[in-house]
Amino acid sequence: MSMFRRFARATTVVAATFVSACNASDSTGPSAPLPVLGLAVTATGSSTARVTFSGRSGESYDIERAEGAAGTFATITTIAALTADATTNYDDRGLTVTTLYRYRVTAIKNGARTPSAETSTTTLAFGSAVARISTDITVSRTLFADTAYTLSGFIHVANGATLTIQAGTTIKGDFETVGSTLMVLRGAKIQAVGTVKAPIVFTSSRAAGSRQPGDWGGLILVGNAPDNRSGTVNVEGTGTSAGTTSGTNYLVQYNGGTVATDNSGTLAYVRVEFGGYAPLQDQEFNSFTFAAIGSGTRASYLESLAGLDDSFEFFGGGFDLDHLVAFETADDMLDMSEGFSGRIQYVIAINTVQLTPRTGAGFYSVDLQGFENDGCNGTGCDLGHGSQPYTIPLVANFTIIGCGQASCMGAGGGYGMMLRRGTGGYYVNGVIARWSTGAVSLRDPFTYTRAGSTATPSETADLQMRNVLFAETNNLAFQAASATQNVLDLTGNNLTLSTATAASLFTAIPAVGSLATSIAAFDFTPTTGSPIASGGLATFTGSIAAKAGTFVTGTSYLGAAAPGGTKWWTGWTNYTRN
Amino acid sequence: MRRSFVALLAFATLLVSSAAVSAQQPAGRITGRITGRIVDAATGQGITDAGVQVVGTAIGVLSGVDGRYLVANAPAGTVTLLVKRIGYAQKQITGIFLDAGKTVEQNISMSSAAVTLTASVVTAQAERGTVAEATDQQKSSISVVSTITAEQIAKSPDGDAAQTVKRVSGVTVQDGKYVFVRGLGERYTTSSLNGARVPSPEPERRVVPLDMFPSGLLQTITTTKTFTPDQQGDFSGALVDIKTKEFPARRTGTLQLGSGYASGATGLSHFTATGVGGERFAMVNHDRDMPAVLRSIKDFQRLNLTQADMNLLAGSFRNSWTPTSGTGGPLMNGSASFGGNDPVLFGHRLGYLISGSMSSNTDVKTDHVRALADRGAIKGETIELDKFTGQTVSQGVLWGGLANLSTYFGTGSRISFNGLYNRGADNDARVETGSLTSDGIQAKITRMQYVERAVYSGQLAGEHQITAAQRFDWAATSSGVRRYEPDRSEFVQAIERDTPTSPEVLRWVNGGSGGAVRTFSDLRETNHEYRATYQLDFGPATSQRSIKFGGLYRTTSRDAQSLSFAIAARGLNNADRALSPEQIFDGRFGTATSNIFSVGPLSQGGSYQARDNILAGFAMIETPIGQHIRVIGGARYESDELEVDAFSTLGDPVRTFKLWNDILPSLAVNIKLSETQQFRVSASRTLARPEYRELSPIITRDVVGGENVQGNEGLLRTNVDNLDLRWELYPRQGEVISIALFAKQFHSPIERVYGAGSGGTSFVFYTNAESADNYGVELELRKDLDAFGRFFTPFTFFTNATVMQSQIHLAASTQAAATNLNRRMVGQAPYVLNTGLTYSSRNGASTATVLFNRVGERLTAAGGSPLPDVIEQPRNVMDLSLRFSVTPNVTVRSDIKNFLDTPHAITQGTVVRESYSSGRIIQAGILWRP
Repeated sequence: MSMFRRFARATTVVAATFVSACNASDSTGPSAPLPVLGLAVTATGSSTARVTFSGRSGESYDIERAEGAAGTFATITTIAALTADATTNYDDRGLTVTTLYRYRVTAIKNGARTPSAETSTTTLAFGSAVARISTDITVSRTLFADTAYTLSGFIHVANGATLTIQAGTTIKGDFETVGSTLMVLRGAKIQAVGTVKAPIVFTSSRAAGSRQPGDWGGLILVGNAPDNRSGTVNVEGTGTSAGTTSGTNYLVQYNGGTVATDNSGTLAYVRVEFGGYAPLQDQEFNSFTFAAIGSGTRASYLESLAGLDDSFEFFGGGFDLDHLVAFETADDMLDMSEGFSGRIQYVIAINTVQLTPRTGAGFYSVDLQGFENDGCNGTGCDLGHGSQPYTIPLVANFTIIGCGQASCMGAGGGYGMMLRRGTGGYYVNGVIARWSTGAVSLRDPFTYTRAGSTATPSETADLQMRNVLFAETNNLAFQAASATQNVLDLTGNNLTLSTATAASLFTAIPAVGSLATSIAAFDFTPTTGSPIASGGLATFTGSIAAKAGTFVTGTSYLGAAAPGGTKWWTGWTNYTRN
Repeated sequence: MRRSFVALLAFATLLVSSAAVSAQQPAGRITGRITGRIVDAATGQGITDAGVQVVGTAIGVLSGVDGRYLVANAPAGTVTLLVKRIGYAQKQITGIFLDAGKTVEQNISMSSAAVTLTASVVTAQAERGTVAEATDQQKSSISVVSTITAEQIAKSPDGDAAQTVKRVSGVTVQDGKYVFVRGLGERYTTSSLNGARVPSPEPERRVVPLDMFPSGLLQTITTTKTFTPDQQGDFSGALVDIKTKEFPARRTGTLQLGSGYASGATGLSHFTATGVGGERFAMVNHDRDMPAVLRSIKDFQRLNLTQADMNLLAGSFRNSWTPTSGTGGPLMNGSASFGGNDPVLFGHRLGYLISGSMSSNTDVKTDHVRALADRGAIKGETIELDKFTGQTVSQGVLWGGLANLSTYFGTGSRISFNGLYNRGADNDARVETGSLTSDGIQAKITRMQYVERAVYSGQLAGEHQITAAQRFDWAATSSGVRRYEPDRSEFVQAIERDTPTSPEVLRWVNGGSGGAVRTFSDLRETNHEYRATYQLDFGPATSQRSIKFGGLYRTTSRDAQSLSFAIAARGLNNADRALSPEQIFDGRFGTATSNIFSVGPLSQGGSYQARDNILAGFAMIETPIGQHIRVIGGARYESDELEVDAFSTLGDPVRTFKLWNDILPSLAVNIKLSETQQFRVSASRTLARPEYRELSPIITRDVVGGENVQGNEGLLRTNVDNLDLRWELYPRQGEVISIALFAKQFHSPIERVYGAGSGGTSFVFYTNAESADNYGVELELRKDLDAFGRFFTPFTFFTNATVMQSQIHLAASTQAAATNLNRRMVGQAPYVLNTGLTYSSRNGASTATVLFNRVGERLTAAGGSPLPDVIEQPRNVMDLSLRFSVTPNVTVRSDIKNFLDTPHAITQGTVVRESYSSGRIIQAGILWRP
């Protein structure tokens, strides 16, 4: 079959050359250019190829490309007329990995065209080359998808540099250099834009099958947006080394920023797997740390897999995120504090078991929660839990599923939402399921103050919770009211304490303790007639509407997936636990 | 174990009784011995070549090194001595009562002929008395010193050097052991034993816990507050020198036994830390050692431990987590000493003192409350957080001994050996309940901690009076300490209710890193110190000058290790979590199919080694200007080469190397305003070096306080400029009134401050502040009250008070900005007051003393912004002490300590960070001098 095809193609080429040569001599005479000489095409990466030929003075060239053995040619670029004879290179980008491409170059002179014979190449597989990154990145750099990078040490992107990562690139945190972590510091940027088919993956350097939470550190972004702590505050876990030696874990300050619109870059289709090493006792790195990130930054389609601390942690700042997946989190699935004011829509977080972390890397948290949002805590909170700006995120369409048993949530954990220390925030159109202690805790009076100290907060209050369904939450919507704890009114806020099982809400979710990895086991789409298929807050009003702007939209359903909608958590994610 | 204690007592008794027997043997003689020192009344220095004659006989001797003399065969009866020396007014001492075969000690002071022309006659009684000697030492020293003598110690209820030294003006004692002078941090106070540096057994501090030295072994404690070049440069703020007892002039022995009642502990039932044997003697056996299987793991992080490995590790810890219950026993203490001066070496006289002491006590801190302070929503407001209430029970034991030997070669040389060994242990248990707000847990925390400390020192020293004008002293000292803290345990249980109305259940906090923790720490340090001093006197006797120079070499090596391990368990159900720790770790979850335990290291990189070599030299000159002014000036050069290797689990060992060379000048002027008045001025520069641990740049968990601590390899050593003024009046012998002003400026002082991390985490680190100032006034008064009438004649009143102020200036740009930038120095109290009243019976045999001590609001830690600083609140402490002689050989003592029982309280803003009551102690004892 293939031999026949190759023969057929050769025949076509010969015939075409013959025909075009005849045409040339017939129609335009001596002014028609000669075919280009020395045409060669080399795959230079998983998405790039280089076309090289010997160009002649006075001629311009159309470079044409066809995908696969049978694709049709189309011009991809035109090279302007040369002023001198020169070897001409053209780097073709944006190709699909391990795919055959055919190229030809048509020489053009005085309107006469002479196409060349065609030649072909196949783009390289992802990660077929290797490289080690062991020093700080202080000038802009691109990481290519064809290379498997090992991140060895505490690598800071600094000094205004931009780190560009091609779609499909894999970066492995070095197991041997314990705690290896990528930190994009204030002033620097990361442009890591993957695709559904070619996500950017940060993972452990250990072989698949033997990876564990805590194998390496994580991805830390530090911006210049404001927060609510004074003095000098450093990113948790940094500072095991003195000085600022390249590649070492020196202190990284993040607070005191002033530019709310600061831009730290773009993340899309990025996974962070098996991170969370604790350089200091009880100070694990998160899978994703967003410290003081400004609104110029944009993040979408992020997955945290099997991290030893929080999946997504936000300190101050505020920017837009959408489509987040947190799977097998060892501490909190989402943690926002210190004045974080970002907007997030579409979040899936699910735990099924407690994994065994890397030896000596740290421990599972003693208080595993879904959300753990704080106002301000610690040194530099000049007004204690009332320090400003308040933590007021908008989180919409969240599906937060716990592991269902006290034994995997820690003695202080087990709440789908732990709101403490004066945090505010707008939480709408969500599902909180399988939390062994309760659905929500308004831990202290400072937090209740944000709600206006009323069980039915007004639509201008800094803390509002609307249209959220609780299922399998120990039959408890809110931690019981006491001298310090308060509850919100269910009816008045359209909150539902459902008697349905969590499993009945969705098309498919893994059972508690299940080790399912097949994507079929993860379908968060509401079943027909599911209470979460409807009941959403479709139209926002008051502070929520003001905050949402055009970025977050109301939905008729609850949770992260529209009935019959796109299964956006498939294709680019990973649900393998080791 | 109890048997060995009995054996020790029996041995001591045997020693004493044999001494008593031998002392009675030479009853047939009709002569006795008179011995003592002849000192310069102005300088306190020994006078060599003074002639001592027994009046009315041909018996006479010349004084030797350090002014010591011995009249070996004076006739028994009442004797008069005549002392003569060129340049000094001659002096007669009358009324020395000498029993046949006995030895009498008589020290004699001589005044310069330039000052006193006429010969004087005084009674032996008047010339005697160690309180007077102390005053003389204070009066005659070229520095500002305060001395507490053995006699004062004996009058106080103090059991160890730390309790004693707090009687000195300007001294505060923290935690019953760490000494601060003039409100300066402990880093500015140096301790020495018989003039040589004592290594510190604390991993993060250089200060020596003075409670390691039983008072029964002490001759004097001298606190020197001004620097002279013959002292070590890191003296910085003050030097506390502990001098162990010297041998007595005549053969003697003592036996002292005591027992006491502690109001909070004795006879009451309370819990007791468990042990493996040997804790009661501070000699714990190896069952507390780190499990061998754990020790064999060098690199936890890169190993792939299987579940079976984890089960083995979890099962390797000693399965003891819970204190047992017990009843508090009485306090016990005892000591015995035996000394003399006998021709034991082929007729060559050897002075000797062998002494041993031991004590044990149970210390209960009742209503022990601790809490953290959080920031309120109003600026400056503080809110109580994580309050825990409970009880701490500590069983302490302290024992030790010394052997001092000394002999003369001719009259010009004395060679002595001082050997000391002390060992103590505290076995603590603490149970408390409260809330861990951050984790959302109501918790019960059970801790057991055993700490053993040992210090040894051996010193060989020589004093050589080469000619009347030349003197050469040397000493070689080898000393070491060990702080051994094997197997500290912490177990945390959550107090849970399954429904709001169901009963509370205790369940293990089986996740996180703090639910079950074992810690193993060991620190060893050895010191070798060699020093030599040469002194030459010259010029006319009426205005004699002296020049002194010398050198010192000290080498120190320290090895500190601290390793912590946490045990966590996955998937344990509530019924299993409710088991007792001893059940959880009894192996039921360690079977081949068990899949729950994980063990990991916590104190990541808590080990370091340090080597420190100091080479120093000094020269100083002392010269009179006119008749009333003495000037002492000079300089010291110190070169310090220091290397610290710290071991972190992240990456390779970190080495810090420092070389510091310093020249430290000093000038002191003493002006004698009259026979009884002096005025002193002293200016000097000293230094304070960072503690070794502070220089290792890795982060470790503070062994004591549980905080992450980061060293700083860039630390500078601190230079301190000191200025002291002091006016003294000595109205009569034994009386003193003095006023001192002091001012110090610190350049780059090292401060312990907080750094902040995201999410409310914090860590401690060290930084050089820009500068700090410290100034204050000290008053001292000791006065006999006979002026108020006959009734008051037996009373002596004494008081000392220090009022001081300091200010630290931190650079706002540093990480230290997380604490208040302008405040007092950490450790500073605004005032210290000591006062007391002593009644002495006419013959001095019975005394009663009331002592009162109050320390102002002391800053114990700088608050993390915007919290206020942490303050230890003042307490009134009153001690009563009675001594009365039953027979000439037997003294009975009775003490009431902490009579007022004011609670201890440490506050931060409105939050009580820690409070407890330690209870009153009533003790009684008997002292037998056969």
